[in-house]
Amino acid sequence: MRFWQLFTRSLKETYRDPLALGFLLAFPLMFMLLFGAAFGGDTAPSFTIGIIDNDQTEVSQGFVTDVLGEEIETIETTNFDDTDTALEELKLGNISAYIVLPDGFGGQVLQIRQGEEGNIALNITFDESDLFVSEQVISIINAATREFARIEIPITINANPINIETDISQIDFIAPGIIIFGLLIMIPTSGRIMLRDKENRFLNRMLTTPTKPWEFIAGYSLSMVVLAIAQILIFILLGWLFGMDIVGSILLAFLIFLLTAICSIGIGMVVASLSKSENQGESLSWLFSMPLAILSGVWFSSEFMPSYMRTFADLFPFSHAVEASRAVITRGVGMEAISGDFFFLVGWAAGIFIIGTILFSRTMRS
Amino acid sequence: MVTKVTRSSVEPNDIPAIQTSNLTKLFGSLVAVDGINLEIKKGELFAFLGPNGAGKTTTISMLSCLLKPTSGTATIMGYDINKEPYKIKQIIGVSPQETTLSEHLNSMENLALVGYLHSIEPNKLKAWSKLMLETMGLTDRAKDQVRKLSGGMKRRLSIAMALIHNPQIIFLDEPTLGLDPQARRAVWDYISRLKGDKTILLTTHYMEEADILADRIGIIDEGRIAALGTSLELKADTIETHTMVVYAWNLTQKVIMELRNRYEKIEISNGTMTLSDKKLDFKDIIDRLHAAGTVVRSAYIKEPTLEDAFLKITGKELRT
Repeated sequence: MRFWQLFTRSLKETYRDPLALGFLLAFPLMFMLLFGAAFGGDTAPSFTIGIIDNDQTEVSQGFVTDVLGEEIETIETTNFDDTDTALEELKLGNISAYIVLPDGFGGQVLQIRQGEEGNIALNITFDESDLFVSEQVISIINAATREFARIEIPITINANPINIETDISQIDFIAPGIIIFGLLIMIPTSGRIMLRDKENRFLNRMLTTPTKPWEFIAGYSLSMVVLAIAQILIFILLGWLFGMDIVGSILLAFLIFLLTAICSIGIGMVVASLSKSENQGESLSWLFSMPLAILSGVWFSSEFMPSYMRTFADLFPFSHAVEASRAVITRGVGMEAISGDFFFLVGWAAGIFIIGTILFSRTMRS
Repeated sequence: MVTKVTRSSVEPNDIPAIQTSNLTKLFGSLVAVDGINLEIKKGELFAFLGPNGAGKTTTISMLSCLLKPTSGTATIMGYDINKEPYKIKQIIGVSPQETTLSEHLNSMENLALVGYLHSIEPNKLKAWSKLMLETMGLTDRAKDQVRKLSGGMKRRLSIAMALIHNPQIIFLDEPTLGLDPQARRAVWDYISRLKGDKTILLTTHYMEEADILADRIGIIDEGRIAALGTSLELKADTIETHTMVVYAWNLTQKVIMELRNRYEKIEISNGTMTLSDKKLDFKDIIDRLHAAGTVVRSAYIKEPTLEDAFLKITGKELRT
């Protein structure tokens, strides 16, 4: 059980170094606290949405007054006769977006309610520079429309369904992304002990023992997994304190976060295996993990990105983790709905550790 | 202390503990180790003596399976370093040049870590660790995190970590580097006690260390073994001129002239006469001095030092 000895040693090196431990826990927590404080309070911002109802049926009017006007507390509506006036208001910043209900909207809704095929299209125009607001508005409207039409499939404005029930708060939507971000930045921190051992040559000393590469990787990683579990629990607790409501299984959400952390640690092991010093490893990790955080949609939805960027981000586990955890936390879906993302994470975690071990064994004897 | 090592075949008694065959290591265009051929017997304490950058540490790194040779190979107790690194790692103990310890663990935990990585049973390990700390004078600091220890204490612990699993072969890379004379002497004492029982390959650039401890010395320079032998052999083989020093009263010009005719070089300074030649006849010199009425207070043949030999072999002074 050599890996167990290496694990306990790494754990001791971590918790007996208060500065390092403080950094490892405090840095991601700081983000969570900032975002939590910013979006978790009662002062949820309200968006004013312009409505252009080209359908003018009972259904479309009911949708505007009952759903957009009353059910969704964070939205206030203003009616416009044409898009030009609405666009002018949008440019002035008086509204956050405007929605055009196309002719035939009511008919499509009724058709779908009767179990027939239908296609609901909403044309939403919003200020692109205000990504966060746009994302919120689209998500909320998407969810509300689907609820209104009683469908489970996404409507055409949003290929990425986020079923914000009726009383979703901002923190519900934001928290999973921030937790994933907190776990993603374990990439730069997880290789720290290995790199320090490389730099002061303690690793060389251990390499003269009959310890196998996988035992080193397992030893170094496990101590970070313990830390990750602590982080996830603190994140969930903080999220809850800020008003995050986990609709689905808390265990499933925890598992998704844990798999994400394991992927980050695995990437950290790969970087540490390839790097020669702590500085080199950390610089390389930050250079890699920050763009990945943005691309993976931890702060705002990747729906607004060009498809090639999304395709690139989808090669990594974090966008999948964001999707899956948001689905569990806000929509309350079960394993069957997220199994694709879940097993992608499992496969990725296994793959990255195999790569890490191979790279470690190649660089351990130069 | 017995280390169990599973061997696939019966180990013949006559195999050398360490054998290198054209062992070579290049770093780019730099030749760090240049085709070393060496055979070290079981139980022998062999010292690599050489200046910094001579290739001592690189050789040890290859033998302890940390570096791959560029060409050539070596065997440790019959195991090939290129083919059976894990078998070798079971039977070696390495004390690296840098004092490398796990800084937030205490002395006992550092020893235990290396012991467990060598699969030593917990009970044995506990007893051996206690013994080892006692031997190295670290018992009082057993529970202190090692970052709080002095440089000398860390060095002693580092050596103890190389020995804790009772290895058959021990590599000590500059074991007393940076130690004060007292601590150095204590480490020498301990290493001396291991002689005969363990095969030890030690590198040093301290002449005295090699002279006192080693059964055989390999003078290594620019990646090559420049000379190999016991301390006496190296001195005798390489030093051609002998020197005799005489402290005397009443040294007369006549006897000085007489000796000058017989021996190559004679220097007089404050009643001390130093005679040098390829061949010196101690009795003849004393007899001639007595016959001339000179009172000889003391006289001795100055032994050549290893430093003289090193200078002669490499043409370099060794920095100490």
